[in-house]
Amino acid sequence: MNQWLLPISVLLPMAVGAALPLLGKKSHRTLHLVVLAALLLQAVFVTWLLLLPQIELPLFAMTDTLTVSLRMDGFSKLFMAVAAYGFLAAGIFAFRYMEHSQRQESFFTFFLLSLGAMVGMALSSNLITMYLFFECLTLLSMPLVLHDRTKESIRAALKYLFYSVAGAFLALCAIFFLARYCTTLDFQAGGSLDPALAAGHETLLRVVIFLGVVGFGAKAGLYPLHGWLPTAHPVAPAPASAVLSGIITKAGVLAILRLIYFCVGPEFLIGTWVQQALLGLSLLTVFMGSMMAYREKQFKKRLAYSSVSQISYVLTGLFFMTAQSVQGGLLHVVFHACIKICLFLVAGSLIFNTGKHSVEEYHGMGKAMPKTMIGFTMASLALVGIPPFNGFVSKWYLALGALRAELPVFSWLGPVVLLISALLTAGYLLPITIHGFFPGPKESVPEKNNEGGPLMWVTISVLALLTLCSGLFARPLAQAFGAMAEALF
Amino acid sequence: MSFSVNFPLFCIVGSLLTAVVSSVLGDRWARRVCMAMVSVVAVLNGVLLGYLTGLGRSVSYTMGHYPHPWGNELTLDSLEALVSVVFSLVLLLCLLGGKAQLQRDLGDRKRNLYYVMAALVQTSLLALVYTNDVFTGYVFIEICTIASCGLLMIRQIGRTTLASVRYMIFSLIGSGLFMLGVVFLYNITGHLLMPELKQTLADLWQSGLYRAPLLTGMSLITIGLAIKSGLFPFHFWMPDTYGYATPSSAGILSGLVSKGYIFLLLKLIFRAFGTQVFYGAGIHHILYLLGVIGMVVGSVSAIREDDIFRMVAYSSAAQIGYIYMGIGISPDLGVTAAVYHILTHAITKPALFLASAQLTDGAGGSKRFRELQGAAYSNWVAGLGFSVGALSMIGLPFTMGLIAKYLFARAAFQSELKMIPTLVVLGISTVLNTLYFARTILRLYNRPKRKLAKPCPVRRQIPYAVSALVLSGMNLLLGIVAQPLISMIEQGLKQF
Amino acid sequence: MNSVFLLLPVCLPIAVGLGIFFLKRHSAGLISGLAMGATLAASVLTWLLIFLCRQESFVLLHLTDALSFCFRFDSLGRFYAGIVATLWPLTVLYAFSYMAHEGHKRVFYSFFTVAYGVTLGICTAGNLITLYCFYEMLTLSTVPLVMHNLTRQAVRAARTYLAFSLGGAAFAFASVIFLVTNGAVGEFSFGGLLAGHPYERSALTWVFFLLGFFGFGVKAAVFPLHIWLPKASVAPTPVTALLHAVAVVNSGIFAVMRLVWYCYGPTLLRGSWAQNIALGFAIITMVYGAVYAVKEGHWKRRLAYSTVSNLSYMLFGILLLTPQGLEGSLLHMAFHSCMKILAFFCAGAVFHQTGREYNASLGGLGRAMPVTFTCFTISAVALTGIPPFNGFVSKWYLLTAAAECGTPMAYAGAGALLLSALLTAVYMMPNAVSGWFGRAEPGSLDTIREADWRMGLPHVVLSLGTLITGLFAQPVVQAAAAIAAGG
Repeated sequence: MNQWLLPISVLLPMAVGAALPLLGKKSHRTLHLVVLAALLLQAVFVTWLLLLPQIELPLFAMTDTLTVSLRMDGFSKLFMAVAAYGFLAAGIFAFRYMEHSQRQESFFTFFLLSLGAMVGMALSSNLITMYLFFECLTLLSMPLVLHDRTKESIRAALKYLFYSVAGAFLALCAIFFLARYCTTLDFQAGGSLDPALAAGHETLLRVVIFLGVVGFGAKAGLYPLHGWLPTAHPVAPAPASAVLSGIITKAGVLAILRLIYFCVGPEFLIGTWVQQALLGLSLLTVFMGSMMAYREKQFKKRLAYSSVSQISYVLTGLFFMTAQSVQGGLLHVVFHACIKICLFLVAGSLIFNTGKHSVEEYHGMGKAMPKTMIGFTMASLALVGIPPFNGFVSKWYLALGALRAELPVFSWLGPVVLLISALLTAGYLLPITIHGFFPGPKESVPEKNNEGGPLMWVTISVLALLTLCSGLFARPLAQAFGAMAEALF
Repeated sequence: MSFSVNFPLFCIVGSLLTAVVSSVLGDRWARRVCMAMVSVVAVLNGVLLGYLTGLGRSVSYTMGHYPHPWGNELTLDSLEALVSVVFSLVLLLCLLGGKAQLQRDLGDRKRNLYYVMAALVQTSLLALVYTNDVFTGYVFIEICTIASCGLLMIRQIGRTTLASVRYMIFSLIGSGLFMLGVVFLYNITGHLLMPELKQTLADLWQSGLYRAPLLTGMSLITIGLAIKSGLFPFHFWMPDTYGYATPSSAGILSGLVSKGYIFLLLKLIFRAFGTQVFYGAGIHHILYLLGVIGMVVGSVSAIREDDIFRMVAYSSAAQIGYIYMGIGISPDLGVTAAVYHILTHAITKPALFLASAQLTDGAGGSKRFRELQGAAYSNWVAGLGFSVGALSMIGLPFTMGLIAKYLFARAAFQSELKMIPTLVVLGISTVLNTLYFARTILRLYNRPKRKLAKPCPVRRQIPYAVSALVLSGMNLLLGIVAQPLISMIEQGLKQF
Repeated sequence: MNSVFLLLPVCLPIAVGLGIFFLKRHSAGLISGLAMGATLAASVLTWLLIFLCRQESFVLLHLTDALSFCFRFDSLGRFYAGIVATLWPLTVLYAFSYMAHEGHKRVFYSFFTVAYGVTLGICTAGNLITLYCFYEMLTLSTVPLVMHNLTRQAVRAARTYLAFSLGGAAFAFASVIFLVTNGAVGEFSFGGLLAGHPYERSALTWVFFLLGFFGFGVKAAVFPLHIWLPKASVAPTPVTALLHAVAVVNSGIFAVMRLVWYCYGPTLLRGSWAQNIALGFAIITMVYGAVYAVKEGHWKRRLAYSTVSNLSYMLFGILLLTPQGLEGSLLHMAFHSCMKILAFFCAGAVFHQTGREYNASLGGLGRAMPVTFTCFTISAVALTGIPPFNGFVSKWYLLTAAAECGTPMAYAGAGALLLSALLTAVYMMPNAVSGWFGRAEPGSLDTIREADWRMGLPHVVLSLGTLITGLFAQPVVQAAAAIAAGG
């Protein structure tokens, strides 16, 4: 009986989302109540599912070789939980943020549909199903970007779409070859590559796997397909940016994780040029993202670049292919989701309340919106990786894993780049705090406002507190993830 | 039935008599007599065809019981009978279909003269087809030339006079060369009857004596007939001649007269020169080359034409190229294809000329394409006739054109050397044919630019409608069930 | 059932079509009733025959001793006939609404119906010469449809179409005759007819194969010969939809299948340079068509370019010369027909209701015509190859076939296919996106209404078809696999 919970948890948000336009132009309150109910129900559902053991449910077969089926394992739970809770937080924030927007029902429709697709992706049990939800997620989250319907938002949405689809097709290319050389397309911890079949075709396989990872990396903002992030985030509404950056990019991470650890198997890649090339790409992305963020003046764009950089932390962890590094990566998935949603909500709050977009206009903001800015400061410290905030924990494991990997150059280059990037992170986030609380003597201080009401600042505060608490009490999570990571090798 | 071997002579003499009689009859009676004669000729030849097919061999018909090598002879076999039947039928349909235009173009005075010329053409065609004597061939070539000029000139506008002068010059050059060639051969061999000529030529060729004069003689005859039938590069008289003549004349000249010469050439090749000598001498390579070039050049010229008659005329030049290409490929399959195409063209081209005439009448007399837009709506029979003819020229399924194309392609595979060029040129030529015929058809069925002339009364249309439907029907029928015709041709060629 | 019955679905529409043409006194209702009746009857007959007809040949007549005109309904023919028989009635229904205000209904329905019979003739043709005859007839019967509105542009398009199609067929004819004269006169047999003849594996065979490939490739819009297809999209939408996404172009594909798999034979061609040249052109076309579709500003022409690209997927599959490739190609033939005709229908519905035909002018129309745009979005997503729609399934089979095949050309083709799939997203999605989310001039949407049920029903049916054949593709896959296994 429990197995039917899996499709229900996918379909619940999707069904509610799809039904929203049917509500018609009723009052926003009704709309918000329905959405809130759906989000809460989903969170409850997911919490329930977290407590259950592994469940599997084959749904149907498109053809004999193409089957769609769902399965919940530890990784599913992780990503599903991140999605459900993250969307809940962003959704609550959005009730206030979107108050004056027309077409709210359109926003929440696609918001819920994206959530469903994301959960579906987490619950996929084979490559085909995952690919299906991956594409769905692209298509369904795209309208979030073009919510404003301006010309540039449409252009940004199409850019997002094309990057994602291009990546998906690169990945599809890998899937074709894996379909030939793997014993099955179902996910199996440690991979299902058939050594007898693959013998003699290693180079070909490595090339297509590399392409596949780069392709899925488009969603995760991995260089060279990262270009959509800084275009899409500034034009999207803040809650949309929050989930895009905090959660939907993690779909790319999940896909890469599944591809490397559940289809190919890490031992096929460890020590090969593919690993080195991927590490090179991810470290380059880490550095470049931070650098671009440092140079960027527009707040949301800066955060977008920051996301590019931070998600590549996770990818770096995956590419080092040691238990610790993967553990660190998984931790960073959770922690970064929490931090980045918080940061984007702060950005949303600042824009909502003051209408200012550039970081240079935020001087003295600490006086005007203290609660928000305190939340921002906490999240910033977490992102930089200062103990006892949670960012420190994940980065610690990442660095540890890198050193344990015993790769020629990358074992020391990795931690160095992570460190430099952390410094740059401090460089692009902390000045906002500093100028916010300690404006120069001649600068005018913005007027104090109500910080968008409790719906906004409470959400931000909760998330900020979460960054602290999860850092302080990271042990259970770290242990659980450690066990999951160990099982992969 | 064996009596039917006399029919060809009766036909020839009868036609001649008709010509004489027609000259003193009034218009209407001249027409009736002439048509009756042509019909009778067709029927008689049909009977003969049946007899000969059953007989399975060719028959020499000595005139006046003078034995060869002195007497004059006719040869009768199924192929000749077949060609005569088709020619007579087409002639009849030409006269029938072009009746309305004849009345318009000639006025009332001279129409009986037209039928005199038609009967003369019929006489000479029959003689060309049946004769077994080279010199008789020459005589009737000249008669045919004069009669054709008459058919052409009888429409007295400046253009036709000019055209017929040009036609006359080319034709006379052709027959002059033919004559010279005959003289060469006669000088060396001492024979004018084909079987003897063939025997002597074969012996001489084997012995190696007189190669050069023999070759010259054969070449002169071939070139002479090629000029007269309008093979590239001697096709420049065609557009003017066919373009300005009255439609029945155009149909007769393009569909029958030029084919008569080609058939004579074939006959000479098989009966007088002998295929071994002719194909051994290599003249066929030149014919092949000229034919292939003619196919392309004719079509390209047709594409550039803005006058529907001249376009159809240029298309004739291309079609003549097909026939010579077939002759040039090989004496068996190639010639089969060529003969089939002679029939195809004899059936198709008159249909096109007649239909064009109807269409231009419907469009107020202008032959320009622009004026012809939508003309098919005013005269659907003509539209249909033109379409069927054009589709056959392109070589679409269920028309004779496709079978002809198939036969040419089949023949091409016999020759390693000519296979690829033949097939490629067939393809190119089809494309070119498509370009101009398709353009014309689309033009005809496009929305009319201005109000079209009222369709003329049904009663006056009947002759044309009959002729068009019969021609189209023959085209389709022989295109769908082609094997009997092909078998007949193959059998006939074997008897040659 | 005896295979004489194959004549029925072929002749019935042709006869009725010609009957409509010569109808003296006519009302619009009578004409459309006749057309629909004939189409439905032929479809029902075809489906009956698909299940009941014995696989034997029926010789109607002999053109010459070597050229016989014969019918046989083998599995490949049944497959294609199934596609055609399903889509044609829907299109006629669509045409009722679309053509309601157009002139020349008599000519339109007449030739539309004739074309149906001729297409079924192509499906049931038992040998190459019969196929060739129907192929030419298809060209002729569809020309009046292309030039239907008789504008200068339409006439020019028709002329181009005629010249290309007939010219191509002329070269294909050389190939046909090559086969006929070399003893391969018989009926189609899976695996080829040429085994053991004197020219086997000689350069000559390759040359003639290429002549045939490019000749029939004209209808399949292979690269330098595709020009007619985008031009022909001036025709009324039912025509472009059905003929230029389904019947005509698929007949080209079908003819190439017959040529490659049933005449020359895959074993003969495998590894020859002719295969590589043909593959090369297919690969170029995939990308070329997609690039031009992206550049194109006119909606229907864009779809036509998309067809150009997609047809070459099928050619690619055929020319891999592996059963998997043929299977993928067949699947794409079936699925592409479904999704592309849907896309054309949507474009046509928009044009019919609003007169807008350029990509840039679709802003916000989705709110006025939600059903149409939902369907278009489905077709766009399916064409892009996103699961669970059927486009994904066929792409999957094509690409796995390429991966299995393993030659450099196959890999190049797989790459080109993915690139073209990406470009598909680039040219299909913006229309859907701007339809839903684009800005409309204030008030400009007030007068626009959704098309009536006769257009809507085909939309919905086809959308569901696109989805269902994607979700439950197994029967189609099985049918295709059976054909590719020689069944």
